[in-house]
Amino acid sequence: MKALRRESIVYGALLLLLALVLGQLGFFDPTRLSRGVVNLITFSKDMIPPDVTILPLAGRALFETVQMAFAGTFLGFLLSLPLGILGTRTLFPPPFVLTVRVIVGVIRTIPSLLWAVLFVIVVGLGPLAGTLALAFYTVGYLAKLYAEFFEGVDPEIVEAAKGVGANRLHLARFVIWPESANSVLSQLLFMFEYNIRASAILGFVGAGGIGFYMQAYLNTLSYQRLATLLMMIFALVLAMDLLSTWIRKRYLPTT
Amino acid sequence: MRSPAAVRAHDVWFTYGSPPSAGWVLRGISLEVPQGCFWAILGPSGAGKTTLVKILAGLLTPHRGEVEVLGLPIEQGRIPQHLRQKIGYIPQQLGLVRGLTALENVLLGSLGRNTGLLPVLGLFPKADVKRAMEYLELLGIAHKAHEKVFRLSGGERQRVAIARTLLQGPKVIFADEFVSDLDLLRAGQIIETMRHFVKRDGITFLLNLHEIQLVQEFADEFLILKEGTIVYQGEARSLTMSLFQEVLEYHGESSPSCAVGALGNRVDL
Ligand SMILES: Nc1ncnc2c1ncn2[C@@H]1O[C@H](COP(=O)(O)OP(=O)(O)OP(=O)(O)O)[C@@H](O)[C@H]1O
Ligand SMILES: [Mg+2]
Repeated sequence: MKALRRESIVYGALLLLLALVLGQLGFFDPTRLSRGVVNLITFSKDMIPPDVTILPLAGRALFETVQMAFAGTFLGFLLSLPLGILGTRTLFPPPFVLTVRVIVGVIRTIPSLLWAVLFVIVVGLGPLAGTLALAFYTVGYLAKLYAEFFEGVDPEIVEAAKGVGANRLHLARFVIWPESANSVLSQLLFMFEYNIRASAILGFVGAGGIGFYMQAYLNTLSYQRLATLLMMIFALVLAMDLLSTWIRKRYLPTT
Repeated sequence: MRSPAAVRAHDVWFTYGSPPSAGWVLRGISLEVPQGCFWAILGPSGAGKTTLVKILAGLLTPHRGEVEVLGLPIEQGRIPQHLRQKIGYIPQQLGLVRGLTALENVLLGSLGRNTGLLPVLGLFPKADVKRAMEYLELLGIAHKAHEKVFRLSGGERQRVAIARTLLQGPKVIFADEFVSDLDLLRAGQIIETMRHFVKRDGITFLLNLHEIQLVQEFADEFLILKEGTIVYQGEARSLTMSLFQEVLEYHGESSPSCAVGALGNRVDL
């Protein structure tokens, strides 16, 4: 009974907090909200009909976006595997593992758009910067997750392999990898889906892909062209989600 | 006429916590297993059987006391590779890699001597592959060699684990109740097979076992472990249900005899 009462108090307090924050953010300002609705309607009207003459140009940019997502995810994945292994306590001593995890943690704190800005400064405008940004962002995310998967492998299996005198490379190849491959690949697909979406906006800071045109059309108020871009991105993201769901169902059954 | 000891423990103390505060799981275990003998370790749940076997196999480090396997001391969990290879260990859940085939799992037993990069690429010496297949053949599961382990039955998996240990070529095998999931008949078959191989190759075999009948039939000697101490040691032939009961009761176990009767010869304490 007491626990239940305490629970309701906590939920109530959380709702109150939400209301407070919303108020501060301007959610209870009726004039702004009604103006917003009107603007949204005009904005939508301005987008119709979408300007399809830009299709060839947008198609090329979209292809570049996919290329960036593919290369960035793949590179990040290739780096995440060894980093994940090095961050696994069942294989390496705690101080070493801690160092690796701190490095990965630092990489993870930087959002992908900030990576993009950094790499635009370092390697210049274009898709190379975007690809590197996605690769680093992927490492921060996947390396942590993979270390957790690898550590989650049944310790008895690891022990049995250590018992025959297997070295760390063997453990990684014959125990850790086969026992966690499904979750590892499944997360890789999620990461690719995410990177497709992320790479669509990297062009805002000049890091290549379709985002560059999105920003240009926004700035010049060419909403009909923008509409075409949005529809193409929508189709791409939907197709990729469907594809990766299908691959997961077909090839990576969760056991 | 006793052969030299293959496994020796002297005054071994162990706890999973930090020593003074936490209770001891093992309190002063000493034992000496002669080479080529098959010893069974019995005892109620939580007595410390798994812990003892892991310490003897060098997978856990005791807080006090000495362990010697094949005349070599096991110190700080650091075991020289050549000794590591001579010690086989079969955990209770077998420790097989589910996503690899039966044959691949057996070949894992050879990793102690195949240390290079080639095995990583899936290339094992022909001689090892041949012997792995021979063991699978002898154990009657050669037709399942290329089947993934997660598709095998419990009994088939046990045979894979045995083949893996045999391919390792150990002089001592420690096994932790790895037949306890099987019914008495099948468990008996597995132990008999195991006994055949260890006797043939002169391997010393220590096994945690619940079933008194199996101990009687196949082991040479038995120990009873209770609350971290060895409370009885005797010849396996002399082990009876009533002896086991008496020992545990004498050491403070209260177990109504009617419950034991209902369970037949199986002792799940
Ligand atoms: N990893 C661990 N951490 C902490 N305590 C443990 C751990 N493993 C075992 N123990 C404790 O040590 C004691 C002995 O455990 P052990 O597994 O050796 O018993 P056992 O004789 O093998 O029992 P069973 O017949 O149930 O397998 C138990 O009280 C158990 O709770
Ligand atoms: Mg146990």
